[in-house]
Amino acid sequence: MADEKTEIAQGLRRRDPDLLDHLIEQYQHRLLRYLISLTRNRATAEDLFQETWIRVLERGHQYDGKHEFSTWLFSVSRHLVIDFFRRKQPASLDALLEDEDKPMAPPVSEEPSAFEMLAQHELSERIAAGLDRVASEYREALVLRFQEGMSLDEIAVVTGAPLGTVKSRVYRGLSALEPWLKGIQA
Amino acid sequence: MTDIGTINKGMADHNDHERARQMLALGDAGQLPSADHAWLESHLEACESCRAFAQDASDVVRALRAIPVAADRSLVTATQMRVRVRAREMRQREERMWLVGVSCVAVTLTAGFTNLACWRGFTWLVERSHVSVATWPVAFVALWIVPALAASVLLLAQGTHLADRNR
Repeated sequence: MADEKTEIAQGLRRRDPDLLDHLIEQYQHRLLRYLISLTRNRATAEDLFQETWIRVLERGHQYDGKHEFSTWLFSVSRHLVIDFFRRKQPASLDALLEDEDKPMAPPVSEEPSAFEMLAQHELSERIAAGLDRVASEYREALVLRFQEGMSLDEIAVVTGAPLGTVKSRVYRGLSALEPWLKGIQA
Repeated sequence: MTDIGTINKGMADHNDHERARQMLALGDAGQLPSADHAWLESHLEACESCRAFAQDASDVVRALRAIPVAADRSLVTATQMRVRVRAREMRQREERMWLVGVSCVAVTLTAGFTNLACWRGFTWLVERSHVSVATWPVAFVALWIVPALAASVLLLAQGTHLADRNR
């Protein structure tokens, strides 16, 4: 695992195009999902997806190979999102709350039974809708914790927030989604 | 006293629920220290609302993981292309900068050696021609400045109002 991180760090320092191709393939879904969770707009997320990889190319020498590459990658993309919103309007990440673009793709379940598939589909739709409404810092923490499977320490590195704050965001975010689970939408 | 006792007990219960829910929400109940894990187990056995929260949290997490967001193939291809183009541009720029750097070093070294050689040549000439010691450094400086001045005048004449006036 440490060797993989070192190899990535060395490849990024060389600006190895094959390594970058491979990394783009490997992290495509995770990065896009994270960017959509931050921007709540697929088109914007796709633009920032490309910008993130250009930034990875340009600043690849800054990756030290000590942390997980995904942690560094998400941190880079997070800074780009913040810059984007600062350029667009000097407000918080929730600035896109009024945007009408549907950010989430229709949820699809992998459950085997048709009934369970339908139930899971509806549940995921509700949770996706709920996720769309919770405060951006909670949404980000939930996506990183439960969709990206990051540890709390890694989330703290990506977001630059203290560990206690990260824990609080995950807890509060999950609690905020509870009404959506039960179909009691605020 | 009884009221204070009731309030304290109520607060303690509230803290217990809060503690249990935080442990559940953070999703690492399995990795808790054994004492905390045992405490959580016993609390869940006794507390119906926290059991319900545990179930809800688990359902929310499952639903979160079931929300798929897939990147289009075209996005991936376009990104890879952009990255390769940018990498080539950066490489070319670095090569140009390297050439400029090497040229600067070469010019500096050449100028240094030429200067030294000319100085020695002048010294030799002065010794042979018996020119006064005060005069020859001025001649030496003039030798360096005159070509630059001539080139500057020529350039000015080519690209300024001087050229227009001559037409």
